[in-house]
Amino acid sequence: MASSLEVRDVRKSYGKFVAVDGVSFTAPAEGSIFGLLGPNGAGKTSTIRMIMDIIAPDSGEVLLFGRPRGDAELRRVGYLPEERGLYRKMTVLDQLLFLGEIHGRKRRDLLPAIDRWLERVELSQWRKSKVEELSKGMQQKVQLIGTLLHEPELLILDEPFSGLDPINQELFRDLFLEHRRQGRTVILSTHGMELAERMCDHICLISHGRVVLTGSLKEIKRRVGGNAYRLVAEGDLERLHELPEVEQAVVQDGRAKLLLKPGAEGFEVLRRMVEFLRVHEFRSEEPELEQIFLKAVRDAA
Amino acid sequence: MRLETMKIVARREFLQRVKTKGFWIGTVVFPVFAVAMTILPSLFLARTSTSHQVVVVDETGRVAPELLKDRPRAKADPLKNPGGAEAEKRTARLAFTVEPTETDTKAQQESLRKRVLAKEVDAWIWITPGVLKGDSVEYRGRSVSNFMTQGELERRLTDAVRRVRLADAGLDPDKIGALSAPVGLKTIRVSAEGSRAEGGAGGFFFAYILFFMLFLGLIIWGQQVMNGVLDEKSTRVVEVLVSSVKPFELMMGKLTGICLVGLTQFGIWLLSLVVVTAPGLITSLASMPDDFKLPTLPVTTAVHFLGFFVLGFMINSSFYAALGAAFNNQQEAQQAAGTMSLLFSVPAIIMPMVINAPSSKLAVVTSLIPLFTPVLMPLRIVVETPPAWQIALGYVLTFGFLIAMVWFCSRIYRVGILMYGKKPTIPELLRWVRYS
Repeated sequence: MASSLEVRDVRKSYGKFVAVDGVSFTAPAEGSIFGLLGPNGAGKTSTIRMIMDIIAPDSGEVLLFGRPRGDAELRRVGYLPEERGLYRKMTVLDQLLFLGEIHGRKRRDLLPAIDRWLERVELSQWRKSKVEELSKGMQQKVQLIGTLLHEPELLILDEPFSGLDPINQELFRDLFLEHRRQGRTVILSTHGMELAERMCDHICLISHGRVVLTGSLKEIKRRVGGNAYRLVAEGDLERLHELPEVEQAVVQDGRAKLLLKPGAEGFEVLRRMVEFLRVHEFRSEEPELEQIFLKAVRDAA
Repeated sequence: MRLETMKIVARREFLQRVKTKGFWIGTVVFPVFAVAMTILPSLFLARTSTSHQVVVVDETGRVAPELLKDRPRAKADPLKNPGGAEAEKRTARLAFTVEPTETDTKAQQESLRKRVLAKEVDAWIWITPGVLKGDSVEYRGRSVSNFMTQGELERRLTDAVRRVRLADAGLDPDKIGALSAPVGLKTIRVSAEGSRAEGGAGGFFFAYILFFMLFLGLIIWGQQVMNGVLDEKSTRVVEVLVSSVKPFELMMGKLTGICLVGLTQFGIWLLSLVVVTAPGLITSLASMPDDFKLPTLPVTTAVHFLGFFVLGFMINSSFYAALGAAFNNQQEAQQAAGTMSLLFSVPAIIMPMVINAPSSKLAVVTSLIPLFTPVLMPLRIVVETPPAWQIALGYVLTFGFLIAMVWFCSRIYRVGILMYGKKPTIPELLRWVRYS
């Protein structure tokens, strides 16, 4: 089965600034959520814009559904940009009809689909209202319907949860997970690691326009794992940074998440830290994506 | 470019605009307003018919009788000239009461003053013997701003005094009047479609209206395009759109849709002009000057008018679309648009010269400059049909320029709509054009 999205050595510079420096990754075709992760300014949005043919890459190519990307392929994609908006003076119905039509759907097919969607997100009574009369939360729902209305096989979401209220966050997440259950792929670009960890099956970490880590989340955790520890202790936890075996220490409120250097032993670190800390708890655990992310970004730099 | 996608965008632009109340108010109000502006003032003046009571005190005793003789104007011929009949109606609104001079003129004037203040009469005039030698006649009334009435009074006084002076010189006033009757100029426009009567002032007025409809229409609709683009950019709708609609399709769809809105409105306006200028309608409703006849609007002129509107619209609007895309908000874009509108307003400066001499070198050359052709060529067609080759050349040059303009502007548009932040400089804009 062909991949739903393949990006091959894509590059983009703006003048002297290199935004994307040879990014390659493949998102699998079977139902999965693929996380495109990285700090702000890493080149995620530029990469996505090149995938969507909004900006042209300087070099490299993009394949959609195993084929060179063309208009027909692009129409099978649902795209939710980070910066999004609606025509404020249009009614909800007209707006959705328009968005459906520019994705190649016919009016007569769209009308029942729109009604179903509005019913589902409890906006039926606002069908004929202008967008500007809706609350922000309702507008976000309309926007989401606009992305999903043409039943895209691939969803590309750029920071989809930014600016959402908690209720909509849940609604959006449910719909994306449902999309995956139906055997389709979601590309999720975000810098929110906690969220990515909860949702993604595969990830691609980007920093300074380069891929620093890519693969399935499970496999990456296994590879990096075994070296992550959780610590509860009293004393000056900041001194953990001074220990030679500690690669990374995230300290907060008498707790710390540690990532040890490869080959370092946990008991060695424990032996050293009891010299200046009263340790209540010290245990090995699966590393969090955030830790992996920070390490990978630091290693790459 | 996918026509289907462009059509969807164009339909949205068209329907969203035509559906608004503002569009219909503008469409209906403008012609109503235009007609009202021309007809109503004279209509009101003509029908406010409480006659103006003027007491005449004539020391000479010779002017007043002449004044009372209601003589029609020399040119008045009600059959040919409905304005003349109207003018007579107007003279009837002056009602004269001749009163003899009393020995105590001071007391007489004082009593007249009281009568005016008590609104028994509106005014009085005092004719001294010096009037026959050139002195002015004193007019005293509650209101001295009723210039139409005063003008009429002055005309009739002049007429009366002149007759007395002529008689004094031993000449026959009636004979002199007949011999010195003015000659009218009956203007007939010669064109390929046949000759038709058109008034000089009427022709000018008509060309003027058509010119400004076109001139202002192009600017107003261009601004609409600019605001539409700015709106899409500032609400970030464009981010959602560009994934499924190519920027060029988006721009051309927008231009097409708004152009159709403009054509709809102009269609309605032109139609109302055709109806309003139908022979005799305006002139029968209102008192136009005698030599004022509105020309009718031939179909070919209307077609050229619409054809050049489309070309001009596309040129101006692709420019305005690029402006809207390049800038981030109304203020920035308006500044740039203001600078450019100086260029667009050149035709408004040349216009009077083109109307006066539509075949002059200046008119021919400027009407073939593509930026000006869309407004100046139709103007020439209205005033005096230019040779067919000039019209054809106008179309060809303008169309070529249009293609270049759309190419240039769409490149700025394509980059601009996704570019936020600081105001771009001109070198940056040019770099956008080169960038692919």
